[in-house]
Amino acid sequence: MAELQKDPMTRGDFLGFGILGTIVGAILTIPPAAFVLGPLIDIDLRGQSDIPDDWFEVGSISEISEDEPKYFLVEFPVEQIYSQREIQEKSGTSKEEFTLDSGLWVSWKTEILEDGKYGSTQRPSFLDEYDGGSLSEEQVQEAQDAVNVLSNSCAHLGCPVRWIIREGEGELLCPCHGGIYNINGDYVAGPPPRDLYRYTHEVREDGKIYVRHEFDSGGEKGPQEPYVI
Amino acid sequence: MIGRLRSQAVDTGKFLTDWMEHRTGILTMMEHFLYEPVPKRGAWLYTLGSATLFCISLQFLTGILLLFYYVPTVDHAWNSIYYIMEEAYFGTLIRGIHYWSANFLLVFIGLHMAQVFFSGGYKAPRELNWVVGVVLLLLVIVLAFTGYLLRWDQDGFWASVVGMKIGSYSPFVGGPTIHFLLGGDVTGPATLSRFFAIHVWLLPAALAPFIGIHLYLLRKHGVFGSEFEYSDRLAKLHERQRLEEYEKYEEDGHEEDGEPYLGRRDREDRE
Repeated sequence: MAELQKDPMTRGDFLGFGILGTIVGAILTIPPAAFVLGPLIDIDLRGQSDIPDDWFEVGSISEISEDEPKYFLVEFPVEQIYSQREIQEKSGTSKEEFTLDSGLWVSWKTEILEDGKYGSTQRPSFLDEYDGGSLSEEQVQEAQDAVNVLSNSCAHLGCPVRWIIREGEGELLCPCHGGIYNINGDYVAGPPPRDLYRYTHEVREDGKIYVRHEFDSGGEKGPQEPYVI
Repeated sequence: MIGRLRSQAVDTGKFLTDWMEHRTGILTMMEHFLYEPVPKRGAWLYTLGSATLFCISLQFLTGILLLFYYVPTVDHAWNSIYYIMEEAYFGTLIRGIHYWSANFLLVFIGLHMAQVFFSGGYKAPRELNWVVGVVLLLLVIVLAFTGYLLRWDQDGFWASVVGMKIGSYSPFVGGPTIHFLLGGDVTGPATLSRFFAIHVWLLPAALAPFIGIHLYLLRKHGVFGSEFEYSDRLAKLHERQRLEEYEKYEEDGHEEDGEPYLGRRDREDRE
């Protein structure tokens, strides 16, 4: 190639081509790359989420029975591309509510005996005569500390776990690959690498549980981000 | 009268083909692409590649037809497929072909690969054709994966969730890859749009040139295993063995007697 060139390339030419090439290359590649990788920039670099940074109502603590978890469905609004609220309001044409339907298992923290059987629960005793009125600050704190708010999405590959009773003892079982968790959502058996994901939750004075779309990452078996929930 | 018309038609046809051949070379090209000597032994096994190509062509054709009715939004994707299956003329047939041909495509690719592997068809000078074939296999697998979600039913949805979570376990790149596929941090409208774009435009556009390269390399070297190739290889093998034998005798001869080797018969005669 070199002998085909009439003039040998000077250092100035080389630098000039390099600078020009960099500028043209950047103009040609950065816009399409940013266009396609937009979600990566938003989520991984800017730390945003498609679920609004808000508390969402789950249900009343009085609905949770003593010896088994109660299933709740929370519909988190999803703000992704055309389902963003401002865009829907601006167009005025969309009648659809775009939600992420998440299943939750909520149970009272239960003592696990040595043979794996369930012992006494931390269910607050004031619930026995609770009529749905407003709670005192101590009661709120007691209930909040005693409740497990678990995602029903298996920590292995995300299938929804369900509560089954076998030989008189209940467990949360994943239908896909047989992951098993106990009533507290702790790992018992099967392929999952960690316990069930726990929602960031709070109990309020109205006796209801509220959650954010946030999960505990980590656990004994190392950090595992809930990528798909 | 009829005889004259016929000869005129033949002349016109000849003129047209000559005209096209002169300007595009299409006849030579067709001959080159369509006629290929195939070994007689195991001839049916050599149709597996064509079967794969046939299924991919069906995918392209039925896929284009399905696009006339399919809507890639979360609120209408399932409904539009329901319409194709229940209302559209021959919708069940078109979607059925797309579905079954996708299944058989993977079967044919597997058999095709096995045939090439066990017959040693990947050996020199055809190594790169094997590599291109593996790229095609991966593209088809990702096509199958992305197509599954487009149905937006329970089956496809959960299969995709599980598939993506499997991917999320990859070290370092797992999270970003999942966020790229999801188009956010949860499954939602963006996920369906992305899978649609990948399934309908990105991967087919990537697939087509690789199919071209695969076929070009096939035509360049011919299918592996023709009788000519075998006899050629055998001849080369015999030649090499003969040379090795010759060298051995030459060495032995020099060491034992110290006189030049003049051929086995020669020495036997002297003894």
